[in-house]
Amino acid sequence: MPSLSTSLDLFQYPFMQRALIGGILTGITGGLLGSFTVVRQLSFFSDALGHSALLGITIGILLGVSPTVVVIPFALLFAVGITYLLEKTDLWTDALLNIIYSSSLAISVVVLSFEGSSQSNLSNLLFGDILALQTSDLIMSGLLLLFCGLFIGLTLRTQMLLTLNESLAIARGVNVFAQRTFFMMFLSLVVAISIKAVGVLLIGAFIVIPACAAQALSRNFTSYVLLSAFLGAISAAVGIFFSALFNLPSGPSIVIVQLCFFLLALVWKGGLTRRLPKMSE
Amino acid sequence: MVSKNTIKIHQRSVLTVDQLTVYRDARSKQQATLQDISFSLEAGTDVAVIGPNGAGKSTLVQSILGILPRESGTVELMGQSIGGKKGSIPASVRHQVAYLPQNFLVDKRLPLTVKELVALGWDKLGLQLPWASAKARKLAVQQALERVNAGHLGRQFISELSGGETKRVLLAYCLVRPRQLLILDEAPAGLDVRGEADFYRLLYELKAEQGWTILQISHDLDMVRKHCDRVICLNRRLLCQGVPETTLAPENLTATYGSEFVRYRHGKHAC
Repeated sequence: MPSLSTSLDLFQYPFMQRALIGGILTGITGGLLGSFTVVRQLSFFSDALGHSALLGITIGILLGVSPTVVVIPFALLFAVGITYLLEKTDLWTDALLNIIYSSSLAISVVVLSFEGSSQSNLSNLLFGDILALQTSDLIMSGLLLLFCGLFIGLTLRTQMLLTLNESLAIARGVNVFAQRTFFMMFLSLVVAISIKAVGVLLIGAFIVIPACAAQALSRNFTSYVLLSAFLGAISAAVGIFFSALFNLPSGPSIVIVQLCFFLLALVWKGGLTRRLPKMSE
Repeated sequence: MVSKNTIKIHQRSVLTVDQLTVYRDARSKQQATLQDISFSLEAGTDVAVIGPNGAGKSTLVQSILGILPRESGTVELMGQSIGGKKGSIPASVRHQVAYLPQNFLVDKRLPLTVKELVALGWDKLGLQLPWASAKARKLAVQQALERVNAGHLGRQFISELSGGETKRVLLAYCLVRPRQLLILDEAPAGLDVRGEADFYRLLYELKAEQGWTILQISHDLDMVRKHCDRVICLNRRLLCQGVPETTLAPENLTATYGSEFVRYRHGKHAC
């Protein structure tokens, strides 16, 4: 096991610095949007989007262009398409999402096997490689955080009312379809841009777990949103540090730290003892 | 009593609905949920909409507010015509209207406090900084909560409130900004008899103070008889409207709810 000082020395390398900054940016953005995603019961959407994005990456590989270039428009199309289908069909949300994401995943894996992608490439897609982040990725993540922050910040009260009660929001003049579509598009962009660092299997955790931990600790909605973003950032920083210290894969390390924060939050609130009996009911 | 499908235009009409037709399932258009509904509300009056389940009462208020699309007909709020099928209501008018939907249920896991909920009633929604008008907002919220005797509940989560407390807080949501019109869809639903009495006592105290005009959907005919200025009987069509004394006559109730209901109600009252 490397010593603490050796691990800290690793952060002198640009790739580790980029990983740290990228992880924190993704953590803040995921936590920020995740706070609304969780209470609107869209957690499965972010997960499904992550899985479906693999199809976008596959198309990118087939076309010989950067997967990031393809996955962003693909994710946006997915968000608009799902929002449209949910409005226009009578299918249950989780069933519809399941059909789309499992089909996308299946097609991607088959195509990738024909294309001859190596096992390690597939593994990188599934679990991400935060150490491979480039400066351009950080710029993209930074811009995304800026736009998401502006969107949530400037429409915070509208988003809160929409989360509370849709009819109440419409009666107050909120264009629910537009707000919902914008939110889904931002969520899709977060997922698409973060896949390189976190991978398709773990991106959902960045959206959901910090928000759930924040929910257990918050005493009002505004602090819930801010705490969710903060926990997303701190989990990423601690996770990357531990991954360096114990030579572990970074993405899964961050998710394990998020899980620890969530469990600590439950214990702090005494929620674990209250919730367990409910789960067994 | 005003006969069905007639419009009574008043000088200070807060709401005028003319020949309103709505299809709940706008795509299939098999059967109109509401057909040719016309009525108006004078400022300061309290009007109840009654009718059996499925009569289109909630559809009526939702189509007035633009939550559901209108097939035809016009709606005028505070003298301003609300055009188009889904008719967007101008912001200046919208802020004068408060709406409490049926079955206002809050997810128990939503970390929203009472203060935050009431503040949402004060906010003019749109692009704004989260801290905009914070002082005025805080003061208005505190005053509204204290007026409904819920000042001590401000920091609690909505999900922690009892049924009666929730209703008081929702009245604070209406009260936090000056309004002309309150639209209540079975507002006291879920309360026991005492809770319902407390709710109406507070509602009518506030109505007297604020000069609210109220359009409320109700199943409580005794309350309607006691408090409301006018009644609208609805069963997909407007069957009758007028003052409660005459409108709640057995023949009108039979037309609205069916003869079984009237026999049951009279039997119950005879006991």
